[in-house]
Amino acid sequence: MKLSDTLEYITVSFTADRFKTFMSSLGIIIGVLSIVVMLSMGEGLYSGVFGEFQGMNLDVINVVPGTWSQDENGPPNFRSTEEPAKLSDKDVDALKGVAGVKSAAPRTSAQVVISSRGRNASATVNGISPEEELELKGKVEEGRFLTDSDYRAVVIGKGVAEDLFRMKVSPGNKLRLYYDDRSMDFKVVGVQGDEAEISIARYDPNMEIYVTHDAMKDLLGRESYNYQQIEVTVDDPTQAETVAARIREALKRYHKDEAFSAVTSRSMLQSLESILAMIKYVLGGIAAVSLVVGGIGISNVMMLTVKERIKEIGVMKAIGATRRDIQRQYLLEAAMLGMTSSLIGIALGAGISVVIGKLAGLPSLVTWQSVAVGLLFGTLATTIAGVYPASRAAKLDPIEALRAE
Amino acid sequence: MAKSAGPGGEDGLNAAQTADDVVVLEKIEKSFRVGESWVSVLKGIDLAIARGEFVALMGPSGSGKSTLMNIVGCLDKPTSGRYLLLGRDVSSLSEDELARVRRKELGFIFQTFNLIGRVSVLKNVEMPMVLCEMPKDQRRARALELLENVGLAHRVDYSPINLSGGERQRVAIARALANDPDIIIADEPTGNLDLKSSDEVMRIMNHLNQEGRTIIMVTHNPEITEHCSRVIRLRDGKIVEDAP
Repeated sequence: MKLSDTLEYITVSFTADRFKTFMSSLGIIIGVLSIVVMLSMGEGLYSGVFGEFQGMNLDVINVVPGTWSQDENGPPNFRSTEEPAKLSDKDVDALKGVAGVKSAAPRTSAQVVISSRGRNASATVNGISPEEELELKGKVEEGRFLTDSDYRAVVIGKGVAEDLFRMKVSPGNKLRLYYDDRSMDFKVVGVQGDEAEISIARYDPNMEIYVTHDAMKDLLGRESYNYQQIEVTVDDPTQAETVAARIREALKRYHKDEAFSAVTSRSMLQSLESILAMIKYVLGGIAAVSLVVGGIGISNVMMLTVKERIKEIGVMKAIGATRRDIQRQYLLEAAMLGMTSSLIGIALGAGISVVIGKLAGLPSLVTWQSVAVGLLFGTLATTIAGVYPASRAAKLDPIEALRAE
Repeated sequence: MAKSAGPGGEDGLNAAQTADDVVVLEKIEKSFRVGESWVSVLKGIDLAIARGEFVALMGPSGSGKSTLMNIVGCLDKPTSGRYLLLGRDVSSLSEDELARVRRKELGFIFQTFNLIGRVSVLKNVEMPMVLCEMPKDQRRARALELLENVGLAHRVDYSPINLSGGERQRVAIARALANDPDIIIADEPTGNLDLKSSDEVMRIMNHLNQEGRTIIMVTHNPEITEHCSRVIRLRDGKIVEDAP
């Protein structure tokens, strides 16, 4: 029997019982639909997150205490077998001496309560070295940026200035910061310009406030004041990894048994990428389970179909159909059912992804990969589901089958 | 027992068998397993059928005539013995090889018609040619011609479900002739038909026989054996009568 004739014959059986065909495809339609939706949501999350990092300088090197390590393809992790390094001015000076380093900006931050005209709110305060903060320096909108000699002066983000209190906070206003049982009064000297929020990290740079390290040290009231992080910018962004390696070498001698790391933002982003990719595939995997269930449904329907057509199979065999003819017919019937259902599932899934994206505000992105995966797995699942019924049909004894009613 | 094969003959033709025999059965035995024991249904059948014969196979139920027809029709294999169909030993062919023999050399007509209800009359008749991979326009032309010959040219696009019994059997006859087989195997072809349809079907069968086709027909009805050139009676798995 020619392939084209088999296909024609199958088409007839589909159209003959449309309701049964539809009911049996439903499982696969839902399975493929969920694969497409899950993958689209995963993809949307993925590209949404990376979209937020667009335009950010990824070639900054972060020097932090502790060990940040990443295996070849695995997730990043912090190991705490070694004492974390205490970063100090000694390190900052050493960093400035490393070839290729443009600036080294030490930072220490803490959550504080901030009070203005008798009203309180919370914000993140950062102790900085103003002369090293090249990027922040350029973003002052009102007033001026901090200088190294400032003490009771504070620069605030646009959000703190405009949204945190009922009345706008402007340069010249007083702010009181509380930390534990201490408090310090500051004078606002500048307000930063609006900056994009990184929503997935729940980081809004507009809600930050900045003071000098001298003030920060007194506010925190700690005996040993260390830097939580030193942000290093480089002369040539393409050489960031090389410079990071030099930094590791240079700082080693100050921190013999202490752990510290020098990682570029880009490599941290790559770790994030691997986590997000994992999430994407887990979502796809969950959807695959529903596809398996759909496949079992198809298998059941095919078994019923074979049973229903037992006499017809007997007739086909009597007039000369070989096992292969019959086997191919039922296998192809399953495959075509799968392919049609998958296409419907893809169309519905794409539609639903777009609607969810719009209504729930979740990122979703229908890619050709998710369409291809849906089509491939949908068709594959039904074809596999068809193998057993098809071989049952092929093995029928024509005499027995003809006798069936 | 003029035409039945005699004993002996290791290979090739034996004494009583002529070159024109289309069906030659030698010591055919068939037993079925029923539970723990074996039941012998055919107990040594020797039979030769010449080209152009119209053979009626009769016998009470349980006599083994259906089993014999299944073997002659290549739907079943004998437990022992030899079966030469058109000079070729088919007793040891595989299931798929037998299927190819059926589609080329044999035409089947069943008591219950056994048409495929899901496809049109035309497609039913085309089916054996589809299995032989005959080109589309060629098989369509032949199917139309065959349907016209049985007087059903106006029913080609009908579903067999909407036809009368007599019409259905005529479609089945057209289907049986699709690949122009030498031998027609008919299993009580008039068993489910009224008198008028029955006559019509027998008239067509007669015509086919006159064209030179060999017909082997199982029947219960003594009246229709008058069309036949030979009547073979089976009882208890043995041929008890073989007369013109």
